[in-house]
Amino acid sequence: MFAYFVRRLLGLLPVLFGVSLLIFTIPRVIGSDPARIMLGERASPESYQRLRTELGLDTPYFLNLKEARTRGIAGLFDAQYPTFVAHAVQGDLGKSIFSRIPVRDSLAHFFPATIELTLVAMFFAVVFGVPLGIVAALNRGTLVDTGFMFLALAGVSFPVFWLGIIMIYLFAVFLGWLPPSGRISPTLIFHSTTGFYLLDAIVQGRWGVLWNLLRHLVMPGIALGTIPLAIIVRMTRSSMLEVLGQDYIRTARAKGVERRAVINKHALRNALLPVITVIGLSFGQLLSGAILTETVFAWPGIGRFVYDAISSRDYPIIQGGVLFIAIMFVLVNMLVDLSYAFIDPRIQYT
Amino acid sequence: MKRLAIVVAAALLALSGAAWAQTLVYGESGLPVSLDLPQDGNSLTVQYQIAEPLVGFQPGSSELRPLLATSWEANADATQWTFHLREGVTFHDGTPFNAEAVKFNFDRWNHRDNPYAFPDQKNFAAWTYIFAAFYGEEGYLLEKVEALDDTTVRFDLTSPVGFFPALVASSYFGIQSPAAVKAAGVDYGTPGVGAVGTGPFKFQEWVQGDHVTVVRNDAYWGDKAKVERIVFRGIESPATRLAELEAGTLDIAVNLSPDDLQAVESNSDLRRATAEANLSIGYIGFHQANKPFDDLRVRQAVAYAIDQKAIVDAFWSGLGTPAAEFIPPGLIGRAGYDIYPYDPEKAKQLLADAGFPNGFQTEFWYMPVSRPYFPSPKDIAEAVAGYLSEVGIQAELRTEDWGIYLTEYDEGKFPMFMLGWNADYADPNNFIYTFFSPTEIKNGFGWADANADEVVKLLGDARKASSETERVTYYEQADKIIYDQVPAMPVVYPTTLHATRTNIDGFLPNPLGVTSVQLNEVTKN
Repeated sequence: MFAYFVRRLLGLLPVLFGVSLLIFTIPRVIGSDPARIMLGERASPESYQRLRTELGLDTPYFLNLKEARTRGIAGLFDAQYPTFVAHAVQGDLGKSIFSRIPVRDSLAHFFPATIELTLVAMFFAVVFGVPLGIVAALNRGTLVDTGFMFLALAGVSFPVFWLGIIMIYLFAVFLGWLPPSGRISPTLIFHSTTGFYLLDAIVQGRWGVLWNLLRHLVMPGIALGTIPLAIIVRMTRSSMLEVLGQDYIRTARAKGVERRAVINKHALRNALLPVITVIGLSFGQLLSGAILTETVFAWPGIGRFVYDAISSRDYPIIQGGVLFIAIMFVLVNMLVDLSYAFIDPRIQYT
Repeated sequence: MKRLAIVVAAALLALSGAAWAQTLVYGESGLPVSLDLPQDGNSLTVQYQIAEPLVGFQPGSSELRPLLATSWEANADATQWTFHLREGVTFHDGTPFNAEAVKFNFDRWNHRDNPYAFPDQKNFAAWTYIFAAFYGEEGYLLEKVEALDDTTVRFDLTSPVGFFPALVASSYFGIQSPAAVKAAGVDYGTPGVGAVGTGPFKFQEWVQGDHVTVVRNDAYWGDKAKVERIVFRGIESPATRLAELEAGTLDIAVNLSPDDLQAVESNSDLRRATAEANLSIGYIGFHQANKPFDDLRVRQAVAYAIDQKAIVDAFWSGLGTPAAEFIPPGLIGRAGYDIYPYDPEKAKQLLADAGFPNGFQTEFWYMPVSRPYFPSPKDIAEAVAGYLSEVGIQAELRTEDWGIYLTEYDEGKFPMFMLGWNADYADPNNFIYTFFSPTEIKNGFGWADANADEVVKLLGDARKASSETERVTYYEQADKIIYDQVPAMPVVYPTTLHATRTNIDGFLPNPLGVTSVQLNEVTKN
């Protein structure tokens, strides 16, 4: 198992190399650059050129042949990509071109917010999704089944933006039950040390703050959770149906095992494997940020942070942010793979 | 006993999740990017509360008023400007504000080799918006800043600028504490450091992605702030900003969508807070290197073909005025023309005269981003294309990533395009010269004939004019040529929608927007 884990970790390296190369190249080849965006609607060619030089945008991308002639091999690698990689392996992702805030600091700030939101969304999706899927499977072909499946279809089809605004108007503006957006009420005095507000509120024993945080999480959590919920319901249902048709289930029933035990012990556990895969994948996806949900609910998460950087061509944020997201995504998938061994004893990693 | 009291107080604080009293919550479209010569509105609004420029604006107007400078005067040819500074003002860090401090700030911005300019870290791009270029570069304006004595500072310019105080009043140029800049170095203006100025509010904290808090400066030289603190929140979606305002969790929401005017006006808890008119313009440009837009009749035909009034009514919901000239209302130098009337028959006739009785095909480029001057570019472009097709002009709608859009615009690749401008300072030069400077008239419109040369000459003369009457004559002459030659069709002077809760008083956006509005007069009841 450990050897497998190490192998998988090593396998990360080529993936990260590929990602770094892509994420370095793509923003640069699609045209435009941060200097252009920074200067806005009107810019003289002179100031544009100067800004490009200052931002280091006119140094070569991969190999600096000009510098190599005078400075040899050190000069050859005095180019944008080698510099980015050399710094990145030391954990330095550079600074935002616009704000000069170190990318690492921003990631450390935005990622905990994304994790909190993702956990709530997945909690909502799993807690409702799995039982609803089971119920639908057990009542296959009935009105209950059709109803749930219709809801699940609706869940994947609702545009988050629309759903978010509807929720805000209903629960925040008209009913006044929940705060419309944000992560915490701006008038509260609260200092987070880890970036994980929920955790900090508990550690500091700030129950009023915790309550405030939870209220802020409800709507974005549900809005973000609807799509995974819908997928989980459908996946649980089809997986359950498949398992319920197996011989061993019929055998168990024939032996007179209680219905509840058949479902919980014999069917559900076997049906869960594909469901867990789906949960893991959704989790990985949500971790990489939910741009629309974060935008509607003004959630300070990583998706919007990176998305904004893409439109302003803030290269260090795009590079650092996507690299980080890629690492998280690969790690989550790895954990999902590993979890199979715990659920299904037939699967062993060596 | 004392300890017990503290414990009880702490416990109460913990339980209640104690809240600040008298906090004004201000919703912008985003949090600041930087508080050290920033270039975006969200940053400038916050910076303006902390660091004041030398010159400010009368409430709700673009008329200048003394701020850190109490008076100013120019030499005869307006190449030397002397500012007399307010005495007894201190920065939030307790260091004195004086002529040396002013010199420090301007030198730092103007000279890329200044030890506190950090050219590899900070770009100070905003400097070039107003002062054309950095010291020593082609076209630079500011030659030298000299502290004549503690309260007198003189600016020497490379060419005459009669409206120099308007440049200095631009919200970019808040005077920062030299001591604080030196202490923080390259990190000055970032979330961990903030900024130190002389303004009515002091920087308190900046939680990335969440909020920035400023607190009242009790030692402020002018009217002390009525509210204790302001929390600025960055809420990207205008719909969410409005919902927050409706729910009462925001006190002020700026830059709402024009579509929301109805929602604001029909809600008795909300109040619209718009300036009389915004110094802003949206236009449709032609690049004459692309045929057939080199033909005046074709450009005129487009102007006659589009029902400008209907478009403005439809897309600005009463928050826009059809535009005829490139100088918006509220500034000098306007000749006062009417818009080209909607006359499709005349448009067809002009096209026929130009050799296109059946029209022609072209590309019409619309912006991929929403700006106050074009809140929904695609919808507006579709409406325009509809009008054009009625006179036979088949305009294919195109767009492109914003950065590429700006680059290709500069390269003259767009036969017809949408673009606009929001004022940096309240002077016609910021409009007419922005569009028709020697470079822009060529790059932006591909306009190169005797008329274009005349416009360039008139605008150059206007910049140098020593009296305002003289300037006005030059502007009016240039304005007439531009109106007749239609290098571009002005579409709208938009008014940006801002709103407050009804218990908020004293929030007065000015024609430049909300970035140069001090919030010390705002009260929350």
